[in-house]
Formats: sequence, C-alpha cells, structure tokens
Amino acid sequence: MLRNQLHVIVKDLLCIDKSICNNIRNITVSAQRCRDVVDRKEMLRSLPAADEGAAGEKAVDVDASIQKRIDTFPTADTPNKLFKGIPFKDLPIFNIRVSPNNTIINFTDAKGFPKLIRSCGIEGFKNTRKGTNIAAQATAITIGTYTTANVLIRCSKRGIKTVRVRVQGLGPGRMSSIKGLQMAGLEIVSITDNTKVSWNPPRPRKQKKL
Amino acid sequence: MRHASFIARTVFVHNNDVEAACRILNRILGREDILDQFRRTRFFEKPFQFRRRINFERCKAIYNEDMDRKIQFVLRKNRTDPYPGSS
Repeated sequence: MLRNQLHVIVKDLLCIDKSICNNIRNITVSAQRCRDVVDRKEMLRSLPAADEGAAGEKAVDVDASIQKRIDTFPTADTPNKLFKGIPFKDLPIFNIRVSPNNTIINFTDAKGFPKLIRSCGIEGFKNTRKGTNIAAQATAITIGTYTTANVLIRCSKRGIKTVRVRVQGLGPGRMSSIKGLQMAGLEIVSITDNTKVSWNPPRPRKQKKL
Repeated sequence: MRHASFIARTVFVHNNDVEAACRILNRILGREDILDQFRRTRFFEKPFQFRRRINFERCKAIYNEDMDRKIQFVLRKNRTDPYPGSS
C-alpha cells in the first residue's frame, strides 16, 4: 500500500515539475515576441539590406584591377572605334531606368530615337513583384529577343547583336536587367551610368515614416 | 556639370563579363560619393540629420588621419634596424 501511495506521489510531483517547466518556457517565448514587435527599428536593422544592384560598391579588391586595365575606359578616339564593323558612336543604345519599384527598358537607335519600350509592368508583373530582379531579368530577355530576332516582330525585323547600355538609378533591376540582355544573346560593348545626381537639388520629398 | 555621353562614367565589357564591368563601375561611383549623394537626395535631410552627419564625418576623417599616420609609423622602412627588439 505504502509503496503504491509513494508511486502516486512521485508521479504527481513529476507532473507538477513538467507543467512548471512548460510555463517558464512559454513566458520566455512570449517575452521575446513582445520585444520584437515593440522595437521596430531593431527588427528593421536585422532584415537583410535591399538589393540595389550596386554590387562591388565597397569592394576594395576592385581598386587594383582598375589601375591595371587601360582599355577598360573610353578615350578621345573611342567614338570611332569599330565594334563588329560599326563605330562606337553608331551602336544602338539600351536605356535602362531602374527604380526600387520598377524597371523600364527602352531601346533606341544611335541618335536616341526610341524604337521599343518594355517595363516590368508591361511584362505582366504587378504591384510589388515589379520591383524584383527576376521581373527585370524577364523583361530584359523579352526586349532582348525582340531586337536580336531576325523575323518580323513589332513592325520590323532588326537582327541587332551589338549594343551599348545606359543605366539610370538604383534598384533591384540594375544588375539583373543587364544580365538578362546578355542572356537574350546581345553583345554588350559598354555600360554607362547615367544616374542623375545633384549636389544642390531642389528640396526632395519628406522622409517616409517607418 | 554635364559630361560627354558614353565617355563619362563608362566602362567597356571584356570577354562578355558584364558582372566584372558592373563591379568596376559601381566601385568608381561608390568611391566618388555619387551613389551616396543619390541616396541622400531621395528624401529631404532634416537640419538635425545634416548636422549629425557632418559632425560624424568630421570625427571620422580625424580618426582616419591619425590612424593612417600610426600605420605609416609602424610600417616605416628606413631604419638602421628594420625590426627593433626582435633580434
């Protein structure tokens, strides 16, 4: 009898122990959750940084290679330099306008007359999906195949292979759209940055509340 | 200031290596403070933020100058005994 009673008591004690442990664990979890919600700044800081297509901005190892390469940068006689038999100044241009929420790719001839335009929105990506590197790459591949194709697409056939690229702005599509153009079979001769930067701009809009 | 298009801020692509060309371009833009200025002018910088940033940059420049001097001192080479205390 006594032994049985002891057994029961021990079992009860174990049960109490377990429930206490569980309770303690629950309390800690809820406390952590509360802290996360309360300190929004900390949460935002812990998130990964948004992809701006500015890879290599802070890469120190690139500096050495910049010094070494002489033919990386244009010179005074670059406009007349031949690329596949076409002077550099007569190569058609791809203008890529990148923003955090969209990527617009515009194909123009050497003089700057627009021939084709395509954006992530036209491509079928809507809302937040527009502002992704995947959308930018898909758009670039589409417009790239339009220009490289030798068949009749959009009123004319082009068969253009060699182009120069001009990029404007920062956003997730900055790198991926250039890669997409290359994947479409275009040979990119040069990349130019045309981001509009002013050191005495008019007053910009107020900061977003986070 | 306006610069000649496709001469300024231009990088040639070698062997279809677009990524390397982009990295070089981004590195130059980052080093010349162009990208930072672009990011800074997306939204209005309030006067207190401007003050704080300028003060921080000033302190950082002083620290970097001193640290550079220290490093140069440690790395200096024209000494009679190149590694004092190690022999």
